[in-house]
Amino acid sequence: MTTLSLTVNGRQVSTEIDPRLNLADFLRERLSLKGTHLGCEHGACGACTVLMDGMPIRSCITMAASCDGVEITTVEGYDDNKLMSRLRRAFREEHALQCGYCTPGMLATAYDIVSRLDRADENEIRAALAGCVCRCTGYRGIVRAIERCIAEKNA
Amino acid sequence: MKAPALEFHRPDTVQAALAILAEGDGAARVLAGGQSLVPMLNLRVAFAETLVDIGAIQELAAIEDAGNHVRLGASVSHARIEDGQTGDYFGGMLGHVAGNIAYRAIRNRGTIGGSLAHADPAADWPVAMIALGANVEIAGSNGSRKLPVDEFMVDVFTTALQEDEILTAICIPKASPKLRWSFQKMRKKAGAFGEAIAAAVHDPESGLCRVVAGSSAIGGPQRFTLLETALQDGDVDDDAIRDAVTRTIGSLGRYETQIHTVCLRRAIEEVRT
Amino acid sequence: MTIKETGVGASILRREDARFLEGRGRFIGDIEIPGMSDVAFLRSPLAHARIASIDTPDDVADRVFTAADLSDVKLVAPASKVPRHRIVAAPPIASDRTRYVGEIVAACIAPTRAEAEDLVEMLAPDFEMLPVIASMDDALSEDGPRLYDDWDSNVSMETGFDSGIDEIIAKAPVKVTRVLDMARQAMVPLEGKGVLAYWSERDDQLVVYSSTQSPHQIRTALCQALELQQRQIRVIAPDVGGGFGYKAILHSEEVIVAALALKTGRPLRWLEDRFEHLTAGANAREHRYEMTAYADQRGRVLAIDAKLTTDGVAYSVWPHTNGFDAIQASGILTGPYDIGGYRVRTQTVVTNKPPLSPYRAVARPGACFAIECTMDAVARAVGRDPAEVRLDNLVKPEAMPYKAITGKEYDSGDYPACLRRAMEMVADAPQTPAPGRLLGTGYAVYTEHTAVSTSTISHIGIPMMPGFEQAAALMQPDGSLELRVGVQSHGQGMETTMAQIASQVLGIEPERVILRHGDTGLSPFSTGTYASRAVVMTGGAVAAACDKIAVKLREIAAHLMQCETANVRLEEGLLKGPSATMMIAEAAETWHFRPYELPEDVLRDGLEVTGGYRPDGDKGPFAYAAHAATVSVDPELGTVELLDYVAVDDCGTRVNPMIVDGQVLGGVVQGIGTGLFEESPFDDQGQPLATTFADYSLPTAAETPMIRLDHSETLSPYTRFGVKGVGEGGAIAPPAAVVNAINDALRPLGAELCAVPASPKRVLGAIFDAQDRAKADLETTK
Repeated sequence: MTTLSLTVNGRQVSTEIDPRLNLADFLRERLSLKGTHLGCEHGACGACTVLMDGMPIRSCITMAASCDGVEITTVEGYDDNKLMSRLRRAFREEHALQCGYCTPGMLATAYDIVSRLDRADENEIRAALAGCVCRCTGYRGIVRAIERCIAEKNA
Repeated sequence: MKAPALEFHRPDTVQAALAILAEGDGAARVLAGGQSLVPMLNLRVAFAETLVDIGAIQELAAIEDAGNHVRLGASVSHARIEDGQTGDYFGGMLGHVAGNIAYRAIRNRGTIGGSLAHADPAADWPVAMIALGANVEIAGSNGSRKLPVDEFMVDVFTTALQEDEILTAICIPKASPKLRWSFQKMRKKAGAFGEAIAAAVHDPESGLCRVVAGSSAIGGPQRFTLLETALQDGDVDDDAIRDAVTRTIGSLGRYETQIHTVCLRRAIEEVRT
Repeated sequence: MTIKETGVGASILRREDARFLEGRGRFIGDIEIPGMSDVAFLRSPLAHARIASIDTPDDVADRVFTAADLSDVKLVAPASKVPRHRIVAAPPIASDRTRYVGEIVAACIAPTRAEAEDLVEMLAPDFEMLPVIASMDDALSEDGPRLYDDWDSNVSMETGFDSGIDEIIAKAPVKVTRVLDMARQAMVPLEGKGVLAYWSERDDQLVVYSSTQSPHQIRTALCQALELQQRQIRVIAPDVGGGFGYKAILHSEEVIVAALALKTGRPLRWLEDRFEHLTAGANAREHRYEMTAYADQRGRVLAIDAKLTTDGVAYSVWPHTNGFDAIQASGILTGPYDIGGYRVRTQTVVTNKPPLSPYRAVARPGACFAIECTMDAVARAVGRDPAEVRLDNLVKPEAMPYKAITGKEYDSGDYPACLRRAMEMVADAPQTPAPGRLLGTGYAVYTEHTAVSTSTISHIGIPMMPGFEQAAALMQPDGSLELRVGVQSHGQGMETTMAQIASQVLGIEPERVILRHGDTGLSPFSTGTYASRAVVMTGGAVAAACDKIAVKLREIAAHLMQCETANVRLEEGLLKGPSATMMIAEAAETWHFRPYELPEDVLRDGLEVTGGYRPDGDKGPFAYAAHAATVSVDPELGTVELLDYVAVDDCGTRVNPMIVDGQVLGGVVQGIGTGLFEESPFDDQGQPLATTFADYSLPTAAETPMIRLDHSETLSPYTRFGVKGVGEGGAIAPPAAVVNAINDALRPLGAELCAVPASPKRVLGAIFDAQDRAKADLETTK
């Protein structure tokens, strides 16, 4: 066992963990935050993407024990964050989700894209989304939702 | 797909990390960003009784402008390089290479030192660092040493690192503003490893002139000294490059020969024009 | 709100989105049952082997289960009416012989998945290697090994059809032959398969949570395996993270977990990981078409003579068998064209590969690829534009309903208009290639039998009989409505569209309707969600149930208004009599809470009803589409960039146009995956070579352009509201459209590609072949 102290969704967590746990399993199994989904467990599909200190990372290939002292935000943790609210509305209105499995990772990625890039055309958004697989939507709605939120940011 | 049982250490100094490695007697592995190692642990194709996470060692995350070279701590992430935190002494090449590695979420965790030490034959940094004539700094229980990256990269997934050593920094000699570079990466889709990578670099001021290719098919990064003269002053055609590929790598399939030849030619052409 | 704004045809936003956007979906991996243990499997590392022994350390033996522990589980075998179709059902756990890499050899149980995997590593199985049949060619080789000792060959099924084409062939001036290969691929719903089972004493039921598209089907299979009554098993599909056909079959793991939950008395769970999915999970397709088209000088196709070989793998999945691809492809190979002669032979062979499952649109992408690439080849042979040749060959609207030579009846539509619209859209957005790149545009047109009918399946005889679809409508005391259906919505947005259908019939707002689905404990029987059937079949059943509710509401209102039922109309959610108007809620409330206001005999059978549905004449409607891809090819590297993609489809009435767009877009990108990226290759020892996403390439946003859509709406004469299915269609045409576009681009090089996915290696291979041919030609002329 190893000791882990971190902040998850604004809440301080200190606990003993099995050091082999990855961050996704820690969030899901130990904190019951089931919104972080596992799609490949080798960092390639993006479903498990969460924010670590404000930056998107793959929770499936991040050891939980490496997260000492960091701040994690999962899909459950945005409360009434303005940008996330706008993204959620845009995702719904642009039909950017179907089965919903990739959605938490897509939102974390979209949040980073909109926060980081003040200007991005369709191709840049598509390139920035390349690490996230959606098997249902064909991506059009996702790209449009992000385009819209970038435009709103500059409005 | 869950990692096997292991012990975990997260020391905050290089000395402490080295001590744990020495104690591990070969069964301990250094964990940097983990973007290659953790997937391999999850798949149980890599094993480690003990992981030594170097993420808490502050000095390894430092970026230092050291006069004639830039010194990157081993755990500087690809994303920091992509975002230009290294300062631009390489005509944008570092940012370009970093920004085309996998995806942003991977680049936020993955590190340049981890990439070199992992020695994936299809990785970008070994090719780019050899092209720029970089050196690595290595710390061991018996002191530290320095090696050019092309000597550090020994073979597929094999480097000059001993079991009780840690790659601590990468030193890249600053190029002049006259540097011309090209980094060609042929891949099946965005974010994927290159099927063929070729870099050409020419700095008339410093005299740096290198042509390097890398990929799984050719077993990792290779310098093409035969083409470096051509890069400076000769003409190159596909036959000459194909010949250089065969002479440097040995016989490859027709497809592999073609894609490496084309990437090398495009890299050389881009630098020469 | 009016019905127009909430009913059939309205693009209302989805009811299901909120929970997914906030991470509050409930997928199989999210469910926790107290005392639950995880299961991990020891799987065969060899494609063909005899299991000599499995050495299990004594101290873990009580947590390890092999075939011997499941000896009382009955084999669930699919059936087939195809003469001489040899079917072998997979044993849930291999007992003496394994026939593909990944076949389950033992199950290990531990408190966590990681510990269960530790147990797997402690087992020491001893395998004796047997000769491997790794490909269709291996299977058909005269002196090669046989997969089943008592078979005289590796052929599992052969079928044929001949309309009599000899006379046509004799007269046809143009003959074009192509061999077209569609690779094997994985289905990759982003959520893997999963199952969780426990015995509930109070319910006297085995409760099985399964990430499935077909809960009742799975219940039927589990009842057979475990010899339980149907009432003793409840299968619940929670939120399901994509299915695409992968979750429409019975998985061995479902049988094992259910059986072991009974045996051990413990709640057990197995969650498929990606490695398992890509190596051991059922995969799809792998067809080889040998196509010969006979045409006139203008490219009017007179007859098709085809031979189809499919890789029918080691075992037959339940319920589809391993022959479904060949049967379907051979039944639709003439496509949307008016072709007077057709001959086909199919051969399904067995190999040492994991199960074959019907994947989105099943064999249609393969059949479309075959006929559409052949159509382009015919156009090249006669020196005409491929789109123009298509226009000459397509079934004309005045011929509808059209009886195809395969016996299928195309119910309605204007196929040429659909293609012309796609051509216009291509012309509207001309593309310019980068320097050194070659530009090409390719077309593909298909017609698709959606909501496949009982008669179609009954003649194949597999245990998946669509029959009647049912829906229950439960009018609540406050006038809100609960719908219960046996299909399962896993991205299709049925919680929204079924509410729209109820809104259309009853005039109530969709917000006052809830859809319960995918739970045998709640829903009427259904064979599940597959074959683009839900909006046709379940939509029809929901409308039928709501019709019944409407009559009952009018009856109540008539009593309260003191008039005849016939004089009460239900309009915009209001019950209107000659002299009064009443809300639905008032009628519902009266019947439930104030029955004394009604005569004693009103609505004895209540306000909860079941409606049933089947299209008129048991006819599945034909949806159709024309797609156009524009690509840029790097002729030196073989890389292909998709610059533009157009899809014009007709699925009859669109219940929710926004959702229809989403289905088409998602299908198109999966089709692009089939066309350009996705492949599950095996080496000559039957070892899977694409075992992670590093090797198995999925299309992402970066590989796809902003797909442009248009629609027409030709109502089906046979279905409620004139709807046709749309779930699968988008995936059918892209492989053909993309390869035709690539071949258009490669034309200056004299190269032609005849296989998907069009990987750089295959594209360069086609170019190398052309170079070699040119060189050889030059040498002959010297």
